[in-house]
Amino acid sequence: MPQDDWAPLLRAANAGDARAYADFLRAVTPVLRGIVRARGASLGGAACEDVLQEVLLALHLKRQTWDPALPVRPWLYAIARHKVTDAFRARGSRIDISVEDFAEVLAAPPGPDPTEASDMEKMIGLLDPRAAAIVRAIGLDGATMAETAARHGLREGALRVALHRALKQLAALRERHVQ
Amino acid sequence: MRTDDLIRTLTADAQPVRPLAVTLIVGLLPALAIAVVAVGLVLGYRPDLTTAIFDPVSAARYVLPLALAGLALPLALRLARPEGAAGARVWPLALPAAVAGGLVLWALLVTPAEGWGMAWRGKTMVYCLVSIPVLSVLPVAAIFAMLRRGATTAPALTGLVAGLGGSGVAAAAYALHCTEDSPLFFVSWYGLAILAVTAVSAWLGPRLLRW
Repeated sequence: MPQDDWAPLLRAANAGDARAYADFLRAVTPVLRGIVRARGASLGGAACEDVLQEVLLALHLKRQTWDPALPVRPWLYAIARHKVTDAFRARGSRIDISVEDFAEVLAAPPGPDPTEASDMEKMIGLLDPRAAAIVRAIGLDGATMAETAARHGLREGALRVALHRALKQLAALRERHVQ
Repeated sequence: MRTDDLIRTLTADAQPVRPLAVTLIVGLLPALAIAVVAVGLVLGYRPDLTTAIFDPVSAARYVLPLALAGLALPLALRLARPEGAAGARVWPLALPAAVAGGLVLWALLVTPAEGWGMAWRGKTMVYCLVSIPVLSVLPVAAIFAMLRRGATTAPALTGLVAGLGGSGVAAAAYALHCTEDSPLFFVSWYGLAILAVTAVSAWLGPRLLRW
């Protein structure tokens, strides 16, 4: 998908359109994966996938920082650069990257995830049991929001709040992990 | 967890997001209102407020801090964006300081030399140095609340700018009470109070704005 299509998708996503958001995330993930791999080839595929997931989580929690009047790409690269630098520093390898470096990075070849990342699973295990169960139900079991809400005896609005809190907590746990 | 699974989880959390500018306004307006009301209730507005606000030198006590805030707040919004720090222009923040410096020079010329010390010290220096930082707490907190929803890549600079914006608002509110109209007084002590708040904010930036 060409980059020009990202802005309308993200604009719709930030207005609450889940389908547009899924399209946006699927469109940018190969590009982000390419960036992470280009920077961290020495770490190996699984670690790169961990870093990619950190970038995606940060993108999610900071998507309100995109100014709809501005292009998506510099914003996306700035998030990627910040989180990739952080993540590799935490893994003990110093790297310096500039945004310009990204210009030449090609998206990773399309296809299914080649590797299963493990860090996120560890972090989910550190959540409180109910939050962990909610994230696993939606993420791993593919349960719908309605099913998950019913299973936990929650209204759907309360489930949304719980899921959002869980994702923020995941990011905070990673932050602590990094320091 | 596979990346596709993560994407599904994130998509389930797709909700309308509130723009940062809205977050800033929603937080800062009540903080400003509380500061203005607190000055009136606790310190009292100066009795000649309605005439003083039109005196150009006296008006500088709130015009300059408001100008500082007016420059700092849009910059804070810019720095809240991850790509905002690149190419951000900081030097306009020095313009109110330059005008303040010009006012000091003017005051030194029109004030007899033997009166400089008295004009500089004034009668309410302690009030000023305590009130402005206290009044800054809520506005600075409101700006930081916005910045924590942001994604700054220059946290110390961003904290500094937040401090200038918040203490600028606070100093303007304090000016409703203060009757010290000599630039030798207000540039010195408003300035010192603003710098103190700004230093603390710059220190807080890297601690509170990690993401």
